[in-house]
Amino acid sequence: MMAETPDPHLPHAATLLDRRELSADTALFRVAPEPSALKALSRFIPGQFVQLSVPGAGEIPISPADLPGTDGILELCVRRVGHVTKLLHAARPGQRLGIRGPFGTGFPIREMAGSPVLLLAGGLGIAPLRSLLFHLLRHREAFGEITLMYGARQPELMLFRDELVGLAAQGVLRLYLTVDFAPQESAGDFSCAVGLLPDLLKGFSFDAARSYAALCGPPALYRCLVSELERAGVEAGRILLSLERRMRCGIGRCCHCAVGQKLCCLDGPVFRLSDLKQIPEAL
Amino acid sequence: MENVFLKNSHLGAFLETLRLFGELHGPTISDNGVAAFAALDDAAALRLDYRRTLIPPKKYLLPFREEILQLRDGIYHAAAPPGRDIVLFGVHPCDLEGIAYLDRVFLGDRPDPCYAARRARLTLVGISCEPDDFCFCSAPPEAAPCDLYLSALDDGFLTRPSTPKGEAIARAAHDLLTEAAPASAGPCRTACRIRPQDPQLRFSDNPLWDRFAQLCLACGACSVCCPTCYCFDVREYPGLAGDGARLREWDNCLFKMHGEVAGANFRTSRLERLRYRFLHKYCGFSPLEGVVSCVGCGRCKEACPVDIDLRELIETAPPEGDPT
Repeated sequence: MMAETPDPHLPHAATLLDRRELSADTALFRVAPEPSALKALSRFIPGQFVQLSVPGAGEIPISPADLPGTDGILELCVRRVGHVTKLLHAARPGQRLGIRGPFGTGFPIREMAGSPVLLLAGGLGIAPLRSLLFHLLRHREAFGEITLMYGARQPELMLFRDELVGLAAQGVLRLYLTVDFAPQESAGDFSCAVGLLPDLLKGFSFDAARSYAALCGPPALYRCLVSELERAGVEAGRILLSLERRMRCGIGRCCHCAVGQKLCCLDGPVFRLSDLKQIPEAL
Repeated sequence: MENVFLKNSHLGAFLETLRLFGELHGPTISDNGVAAFAALDDAAALRLDYRRTLIPPKKYLLPFREEILQLRDGIYHAAAPPGRDIVLFGVHPCDLEGIAYLDRVFLGDRPDPCYAARRARLTLVGISCEPDDFCFCSAPPEAAPCDLYLSALDDGFLTRPSTPKGEAIARAAHDLLTEAAPASAGPCRTACRIRPQDPQLRFSDNPLWDRFAQLCLACGACSVCCPTCYCFDVREYPGLAGDGARLREWDNCLFKMHGEVAGANFRTSRLERLRYRFLHKYCGFSPLEGVVSCVGCGRCKEACPVDIDLRELIETAPPEGDPT
């Protein structure tokens, strides 16, 4: 007889605790999983993802925006874009949810120890990088200089702005914010550059040879950023990209998340640029 | 257990014995003339002269649509273990290889509960075949992975059990079987081993790619009829009162939406989707990288409405290590 193995499809029950609006269509949801999920979640590495179930709506892959607490509470930054996220946004505290995971590989945090880290986030891409940032800050002495460059389309779409500015004010990281467009009336509201992330990177001087760069954002952003980083002298093996694919099963079976011969849910979602170079459709 | 011999005249009684081990299924011709594996309520419906069924036996292990979770009062529960005892009789070596590949995918370190439940209750009786022009299998028939294998000879079948289940069948059918000298079936005459392909071949400037892409209708028939295509989509079907189910359904990498992600699609062109299928089939993904999953059954070639034959691409590519 086959030994009883847990059903890999079955989510752990979880409860929506509360939510915080971050922009018109994006909110940060705090989700408390049942104790049965804690063992797996305690091994979470920034960059990994969980499968979040909204009963009756379906399941979506989400990369947590913070490390789960010892109580397993997850912070999930979710934009309202599709069926599942729409129902999540309509949910009230106490709503039953489901969690599977974490799945995939995260950022190589051990290997990154001792090195300067450059975080490059575009739009909603700040969410997975926020969990990496919090890991770096919790082990601040173990890492070199930490720089976060974050680009959003316009000022009101910039997520976690006050929190990031507060951290920068403590001197624990260098923060550069930029927006694509700044309407006149918002000028003076807060200070940030106007321009694209790759342009911001162009004028930036840093210890490229020793640095790791962690990127998360829309596919179009990667192509520009990657060439800029390589030009600056960052090794392809130290350019880490979190790729977006539509993981359905999360366990390497449904084949919706193939990147070349790799599967985003098993071998990713964090990939090294050096591993993606032979895969033209990756970026 | 040694080889034993089943005379043609005992086949009917042998089939009745198989019913002791589960519902008997085998190749039949449907009302509309399509070869299909189906229940053999009447053993006379069995058609052992079939070439290939339209839908491969994967349907017994991965139904087109199946429930993987149940939702009751807003809480997910594992689906009831599916499956019933089925004896699938008359499966060709290529299809047996197809099932062996699916076993590798779904019974690995994290066995899929639905697949495992169905698989445990499926008994496979293989049979040798007569290849036609579409076949290009490379499976040595004597090694076909099944419980019991029948090699057709003029007056009956050389019968080889290879699992405890197969031996149990042979014991139950003891009176119908006679001793036979071990004989090896000759190699299949179409045998041409399909080697793992160079993944870079999909980016080659081989003009066949463009020709295929221009012809391809993206109908997905090649994937539906493939014994090793298993891509699936997961869908939620809510009920009205907090109940519902999560289902998985066959998906198809020739369809445009297969490569969709939020705000983008990584495979918008037919060329990209054909290459994706080629990559999965002949080069393998992640844990099965380097594993060829094409078993040479010839279904895709026969089903393709515009006669695309991926084999042409493989055969026209320079062989590995060719000095020229």
